[in-house]
Amino acid sequence: MTRLNLLLLLAVMSSALYLVNVQYESRRLFAEIDRALSEERRLEAEHERLLAERRAQAAPLRVEKLAKDRLQMRPASPAISIYVTRPQGEGSP
Amino acid sequence: MSRSILYTSSPLLASRTPVWRSKFIVAVLALTFLGLGVRAAYIQVVSNDFFQYQGQVRFARTLEIPASRGRVLDRNGLILASSVLASSVWAIPEDVERDEERLRQLARLLDMSLAELNKKLEDEDKTFVWIKRQVDEPVAKQIDALKIKGIYQRKEYKRQYPEGEAAAHVVGFTNVEDKGQEGVELAFEKTLAGKSGSRRVIKDRLGSVVEAVGETVPPVDGLDLQLSIDSKVQFFAYQKLREAVRENKAASGSIVVLDAQSGEVLALANYPSYVPGKRQNLSGAQLRNRALTDTFEPGSTTKPFIAALALEKGLVRPETQIQTAPGRLTIGGATISDAHPHGVLTVNEIIQKSSNVGTVKMAMQMPAREMWEMYSLVGFGQKPQLPFPGVVSGRLRAHKTWRPIEQATMSYGYGLSVSLFQLAHAYSVFARDGQLVPVTLLKTSGAAGGVRVMQARHAESVRHMLQLVTSPGGTAIKAQTMGYSVGGKTGTAHKVEGRGYASHKYRGFFVGLAPVEQPRIVVAVMIDEPTAGRYYGGDVAAPVFSETVQQTLRLLGIQPDVPVKPGIIANAVGESF
Repeated sequence: MTRLNLLLLLAVMSSALYLVNVQYESRRLFAEIDRALSEERRLEAEHERLLAERRAQAAPLRVEKLAKDRLQMRPASPAISIYVTRPQGEGSP
Repeated sequence: MSRSILYTSSPLLASRTPVWRSKFIVAVLALTFLGLGVRAAYIQVVSNDFFQYQGQVRFARTLEIPASRGRVLDRNGLILASSVLASSVWAIPEDVERDEERLRQLARLLDMSLAELNKKLEDEDKTFVWIKRQVDEPVAKQIDALKIKGIYQRKEYKRQYPEGEAAAHVVGFTNVEDKGQEGVELAFEKTLAGKSGSRRVIKDRLGSVVEAVGETVPPVDGLDLQLSIDSKVQFFAYQKLREAVRENKAASGSIVVLDAQSGEVLALANYPSYVPGKRQNLSGAQLRNRALTDTFEPGSTTKPFIAALALEKGLVRPETQIQTAPGRLTIGGATISDAHPHGVLTVNEIIQKSSNVGTVKMAMQMPAREMWEMYSLVGFGQKPQLPFPGVVSGRLRAHKTWRPIEQATMSYGYGLSVSLFQLAHAYSVFARDGQLVPVTLLKTSGAAGGVRVMQARHAESVRHMLQLVTSPGGTAIKAQTMGYSVGGKTGTAHKVEGRGYASHKYRGFFVGLAPVEQPRIVVAVMIDEPTAGRYYGGDVAAPVFSETVQQTLRLLGIQPDVPVKPGIIANAVGESF
């Protein structure tokens, strides 16, 4: 009887200690997930920022200025355009 | 003799311990244990809630999950406004280490003087001071690298407007808290604004989140908004307008480009404009969206409506001849005159030459009510259905109050007031074969249904009159553009000042459509107070119209309908115009 009780006590003790360990482990992993998630959010925001930046770099105001000043381009007009008629039967581009 | 004392056997030390003493000790120890037991039970059972709560207070935190504001896109999905993260710098003045050199560096990074910075930091009682909000990301990193004690950063959303001043009046701007203040940002605040969520977590001693407790409220991001604006058209329109305003030394100018088929606003620009990203200059007259908020007397631009009404009521045909000599007409004691006297003119020519007398002669044949109905149907005196802050309705008095002379002046555009936007919208009636389409700032799919105002053939007749205006002999030859047929009407109005007309202040405007056979766009241009000599709408506004039409139709991919002398030697398959 005593031996069984001792055995059970031992089992309870080890289970309790294991529980503590598991709890610790789960918190550690959770913290890791959380860090990863906030990293994701940060990268997403960075992505958004870069998109806006790219758009700002390609804004017509800037493109026009660069095309005119650096590349010496001029606006297209019908006089310098060639209009090609699409052959019948072809779908929209 | 031995000096040692034998404790165990010394009779002097032998004493009889009373029995109660040992019992007393045992009792005290037992009580102590009992006390501990009770205390444990008290903590674990009786006041469990209290201690649980205290634990929560120390380790559980409610974190806000920020929601991002929706983006504003143009019709092709290009970004007009977008929220990005930016760092705001704040400080606890008491904790800031007074290291002159590093503070100087900080001030330089923040673009302020050391004195300014010190002023912000001098109030040591405060525990929180914003140093500068919404700093650019690269700068924020450098500030971080300085590692000054007591200086912290916080992430905030900042609105970016890649299109800058060109689209400023349409898009508007937000305040520092990311709430809409003007334009679309304000009008669609509910759609764009997100709702931040929250979650409850347990943090450990180091501050990292270790467990989520309770419910998580997910954030609701704001919805993206796709406008009908085409950013390229918008840019061109703005650019041409800006050039014209500067060239004519005008006070301001506005331009509206409408898609005649769908009623979508392709561009709406005003000059002077502002850069919405720069917060310090967000005030004053430049914020006004003049195309929607400023009204003026439409002048000659109402004449085509009178002609259309006369056609509609069967009073005239386009070829009907009307005597306008000697260029003067007296109604109720007041004299109406033409700038240049003409002889007998057809209805076509009356519009082409913009004859006041001819127009009045047509107008006086119809009841005031019919004229009023026509003006009302095309939207004069009524608020445009645009969800925009500060949209005005203009002024059109009830027809019962019109005296004959007033009916006469109203036929050529004096005595009522409209905004440039209303004028553009009204002209879409001619462009869309007699139907008035509802306008929209949001992208729609395909053509919208409209309200019929006049028969299609009469709208077509008026379109040809409008084309004559831009042909030799008309008042706006400068509205012609290479490759496309255009039609339109000029207007020049004395500005009203106080109770009368200012003698040397004018507004020149032009509203027209293109191409004439199958109109795709309606463009209205207004130049306010040109002072460089010329002030007629045909001189100051028509060139802007011409260039804008040219670029817009090209961007929309519409083939020229008028032969053009090729400026290049074509050596390709297909045909060149």
